[in-house]
This record gives sequence, structure tokens and C-alpha cells, in this order.
Amino acid sequence: MAVADSTPPAEAPPQGPAKGWARRGGALSWGQRFLTLREGSIIVITVVTFVYFAASVPHFLTGSGLKALLPYFAPFAILAAGEVFVMINAEIDLSVGAVYLFAPFVFYKLNVNAGLPLVPAMIGALIAAMLVGLFNGLVVSVVGISSFVTTLGTLFTLSGLTLIISHATQVTTPGTSVVKVGTFAQIFGGGTYSELFWAIGIAIVLQLVLSFTRWGIYTVAVGGNRLGASEAGVRTKVVLTRNFVLCALLAGFVGIMEAVRAATTTPDPSGANVILFQAISAAVIGGTLLQGGSGTVIGAFIGAIFLGVLQDGLNLKGVSANYFYFYLGLAILIAMAFNTYVSRVRTGSGRG
Amino acid sequence: MSQDDMLGDAVERLEWDERKQDETPVKKWRQLTRRTALTGAAAGIAAAALEACGSSKSSSSVTGVSSSTAATSSGSSAASSIFGVSQSYKFTLVNHVTTNPFFTPTQNGAADACKLLGCSYQWTGSENSVVGEMVTAFNTAVSAGVDGIGVCLISPTAFNQPVEKALAAGIPVLAYNADATGNARLAYIGQDLFVSGQEMGQHIASLVPSGDVALFIATPGTANIQPRIDGAQATLKSHSSITPHVVATGAALTQELTTIEAYITGHPSYKGFFAVDGGSTQSVGQVIQKHNLNGKVKGGGYDLTPITQQTLASGALQFTIDQQPYLQGFLPILELYLYKASQSLTGPADVNTGLKFLDKTTVIPYNSTKSRFEGTGTAPGVQKS
Repeated sequence: MAVADSTPPAEAPPQGPAKGWARRGGALSWGQRFLTLREGSIIVITVVTFVYFAASVPHFLTGSGLKALLPYFAPFAILAAGEVFVMINAEIDLSVGAVYLFAPFVFYKLNVNAGLPLVPAMIGALIAAMLVGLFNGLVVSVVGISSFVTTLGTLFTLSGLTLIISHATQVTTPGTSVVKVGTFAQIFGGGTYSELFWAIGIAIVLQLVLSFTRWGIYTVAVGGNRLGASEAGVRTKVVLTRNFVLCALLAGFVGIMEAVRAATTTPDPSGANVILFQAISAAVIGGTLLQGGSGTVIGAFIGAIFLGVLQDGLNLKGVSANYFYFYLGLAILIAMAFNTYVSRVRTGSGRG
Repeated sequence: MSQDDMLGDAVERLEWDERKQDETPVKKWRQLTRRTALTGAAAGIAAAALEACGSSKSSSSVTGVSSSTAATSSGSSAASSIFGVSQSYKFTLVNHVTTNPFFTPTQNGAADACKLLGCSYQWTGSENSVVGEMVTAFNTAVSAGVDGIGVCLISPTAFNQPVEKALAAGIPVLAYNADATGNARLAYIGQDLFVSGQEMGQHIASLVPSGDVALFIATPGTANIQPRIDGAQATLKSHSSITPHVVATGAALTQELTTIEAYITGHPSYKGFFAVDGGSTQSVGQVIQKHNLNGKVKGGGYDLTPITQQTLASGALQFTIDQQPYLQGFLPILELYLYKASQSLTGPADVNTGLKFLDKTTVIPYNSTKSRFEGTGTAPGVQKS
């Protein structure tokens, strides 16, 4: 309780836990309302981290500094949004990195080898990504293999397939150029704010889907109690499968946007698996439970911002190469410990 | 019989005359085809091979494409009669980053050498520089009784015993791309990483007389790039007016781009940005280009990717160092083959594949062509792009 009240947004005078519970729904103080939000604690941590770097690093809080921050989190926010839907189902998709790697090569092949224009080629690549998701979903829900194993299998298969179809050769992404950013590139990843707009748009839409539509409510129900949900008439297999399709679709979309931003499509799976870890980290830091049943897209968005701010700040602070991962890891552990503590205090105060 | 002896003498004499020339594939080809032609074995095929050789010699970059296909297809049948080899050798190349695009030309080189010589090779090892996986792959190759092994010695000691065991079993072992002192390998084919870093340091010092410079490294501690940054730092230490800052950029290309963009825009007072791996180098070029810093800051690095080449040509980067990865696949296979074919009489030779600095002008042929040599194309020879 003491900790909860001493955090910056907690402006309310200290009050007993029982009192807080009794007044719930009535005149709860702003600070307590804020902390009762699932994302409250990670917002606090992100703001504190942001303020720290803004105060201690000269170029962090400038126009160009903030622009440079965008690609640190925008793509991961989108990937994490898809992962949240799967993780709420108490499943996990390890193949997002591989789809991220695979989709831009399908895009390249459809555009360069099959001669399709840019947009149809991209749609084709996204359909290919969705087919991967469909496969994952069907194997998990119908065959009944655990999603960890299934998507691990897809991860390796797809990484290998990418290397085969690309001849392990890096190529220039269609529709891009280092010298001039065209309209297609502007919209899909090349423009400074393009990924940010996509990330915000996708996060808002998916949060609405999760909170207010049957799809979202069934998703939470299946994650919370699969047997109960199915006995209540929810078609759990459909729910599971479409979440895997959504997750793969977003992974493919981010893969193409990132390939456009870098103007290069590279078939190196070791890099793609780092992307996977970042996406899952963002979702988990944002409050999505690994055991399912609970999670928000907005939380994952903020989790991605936290990771981005941390990496950007450490980088600009000039942390020496050999210390970078050490500090990054420690910072994540400390933040998560604090996050868990704050939310425990939050629920503790709720239960009185 | 006596005529054969005379021809043999002539061949020896010609090769003796050429001994001072660099070990290039062209020279090897010339010697190989000369032997065939003079000793009269498979004369018709040799003629085809010679013709191919002649045209590839004249084709420094663009021309002479059509005949190379003929050379590879006729070569496989020619090699066995030239060298008196009846079996098809199997070689193994153990690599530390098997899926890294840098090694695509290396695999092309090995595949081309195999086609030429009528042998085959396996590409194996670790995806993420895990030495244990590489040693396992190496030992598997030894127990499978392959005819020769090329290995990237990314650990100073881990490969000593396996290599000795392989040699004791009569399997020749060459190091390529990365070497370790004290290892019993028969020869090393690749770049001296530390020395190349020192040379890069010299280049940096001549481009940026004083001020802060950033040195980007994708994954610190990785055996094939860390020595370069160590070399660069060692040289820059003697230039007290330059302050180097080492920055880790990450394993994924997009991550490297993000980090480098943030760093460059966040440090406007820095005079130069340099990188020791391919992904970071192309990202430096891309960011300098994007923010119109061409000429205002200096940039440079390693390896050739399409973007590195374009930004080098546009003046965003001042240099890049090419270490000719194609040769790091072609030559090990060639040397291993000769070692087996000559029954250990010849074959292993150290080759420094390079410290080939490219600049705005010398990069032009790389930009105007596509080829297996640079990993930018899959068809044989060199195409216009």
C-alpha cells in the first residue's frame, strides 16, 4: 500500500485497504483508479524510465531523438498485439519470427519473379502468412499438439524454407530505394511515422475487438477455462485457429514493413528469432499472462514502448557494447519485479 | 613413355616459372588445363576447358558469361581424367553461422568448385557460433570418413584435438574464414581479421583527423568480428586526437538500423561512423544517406551488400572492405581435392583472401552486375543488373 501511494500518480491521501474497497465504484481517488487499471504499473514504470533518460541523455528528448525512438517499438507493438490474442488463449506462437522472415520473401518472389504489382504481391504474401497461421491453429486445435511444439516446428520449417527459396541471398525489397522513398514505401514502413500510425491503428482496433466483440470475449473465455467455454457452446477450435491466423498475419505484415524500412530483405533466421523474443517480452511486460486468460493489447503496446525507451536510452547514453545486454537484462528484471510488486499491492488493496 | 617424361618436365618448368604469382583460381586453372593439354589426356575436353579459361581470364567483370557454363559441365568429367581420380570425393565445410548471407558466395564457390572437379560437399556447423555444435559436426564428418574438412576456427583451442584426430585418420583439414594459432590445420584461407581491423583504423585516422567516432559491432564477442574492432581500437589508440566509442547494434538487421539511426541522430557532433559487420555497415550508409549527411560525416565498414554498394557509390560511405567470400569456399574445396588427388603430395597453401578496400570508383562494377561471386545472383557467371 505504501508503495502504491508513493508512486507519482497516487495523489490521494493514504487510506486503509478496506476503505478503498468499500468505496470502489463510488468516489475512488484518481490515483487508485489509475493503479487499478491492469496497465497502470507498467505505465508508471515506462514514464519513470522515459523521464530518467530525458533528463540524463541530451538528445533523447529532441524531435529527431523521438523520431529515432519510433522504430524501437512500433513494429514490436504490432507483433505483440497478435501474440496477446494467442497468449490469452493460454497458447504461444513461436513462429512469428519465422513468418516475419518468410513473408517479405514471398512478397519479393511475387513481385520480381511472378511480376505482380506491389500491392497485390503484398496481399499475396499476407495470405501466405495467414496460411501458416491456419496451419498452426489447426494443428493445435484439431490435432491437439501443444502450441509450443507446433510453432517451434513451424519456426524451423519456415526459416529453412526461407533460406531455400531465397538461396540464402539478401535482396533489395521491391518498391524501395535507399536514395528515394516512394509512395508505397512511405505508406508501408518507409515513412518516418508510417509504422507508428499502423501500430496505433492496429492496437486500437484489436483492443476494441478484444473488449467488445464476441471474438474477444470468446478468446478470454477459452483462455480462462477451455472446457467451460466449450460446454457453454463456444467453438473453441475456431477461436484458437483464428487467433493463430491473426497473429501470423500481423507477423507477416510487420515483416514486410520492416523489410521496406531497411530496403533490404535478409534471410538470416538468427536475427528473426531476436524479434520473436522482443514481441513476447512486450506482451508479457504489458501484463499478458503466460498461463492465459488475461491480457490487453494496449498493455502490450506500452510494454513495447518500455522496451524501446530502454534500448534507445541505453544506446544514446553511450553504454559500451560489452555492457549493453547486461544493463538491458537487469533493467527488464528490475522493472518486472517492480511491476509485479505494484500489481500485487493493487490487488491486495482491492481485496482488503 | 619418354615423351611423357619430357612433357612432365615442361609442365614442371612452366609451373616453376609461375611460382611467384599470386595463388589465384585463374593460375590454378591455367596450370591444371596445361597439364591436361600437354599430356594429351582427354584432349578434346581440355580444349574446351582451355577456351573457357581464356575467356574467363579476359572477363574481368562483365563479359565471357556464356562459356563458363560449358566449363563447369565439361569440367566434372575432365577432372577425373586429369587427376586420375576414379571416385567422387565428399568434403565437409563446418561453418559457425551457416545461415548468414555473408557465406552465400562461399557456398556458391564451394558448389562451383565441386561442379568443376566432380565432387560434392556438405555445408554444416552452427547457426549461432555455438562451438559445441561445430565440434560435433566436425567429429561427425570424421567418423563418417569424409575425404576432407574445411572449418572456421572460431575458438582458439576447441578444435585442436578434433583436427589432430582427423589428420591422424588421414583426413585433410583446412581452416577458412577464421583461424587459430597453434591448430594443426594444414592451411588457412581467409582474411586476417585483426590485421584488417588495424588497416581499417588507419583508414579512419586518415578520414577523420580528430574528434569522436563511433565503431558499431552487431554482436560483441563474436569470433569473426570482435578481432576487427580490437584491431581498429589498437590502431586508434596511437591517435590520441580521435576518441572511439564502441556500440553494440544487435543481431537482426532491422535492429541494427534502428540502433544506428538513433545513435547517429543523437550524436551530431561525431565526425565519423564505422562498422565491423555487414549489416551495421549498410545501416550506417543508409542512415547517412537518409539524413543528408553525405560528406559532413565519414562512414565505412566491411563487406558488400546491395545497400552498402549503393551508398558507397553515392558518397555516403567512404570505404568498405571486401574479403572475397567466394574464394573462401572455392579454394578450400580445390586444395582439399588436390591433396586427395595427389595423395598428400600437394594441395594445402595459405591464402589471404583479402584486404580489398573498395571506394566510390572501384565499387562501380559491383553495382552494375549480378553474380554468384558476390552472392547477388544465382546464374553462373556475371550478369548485367
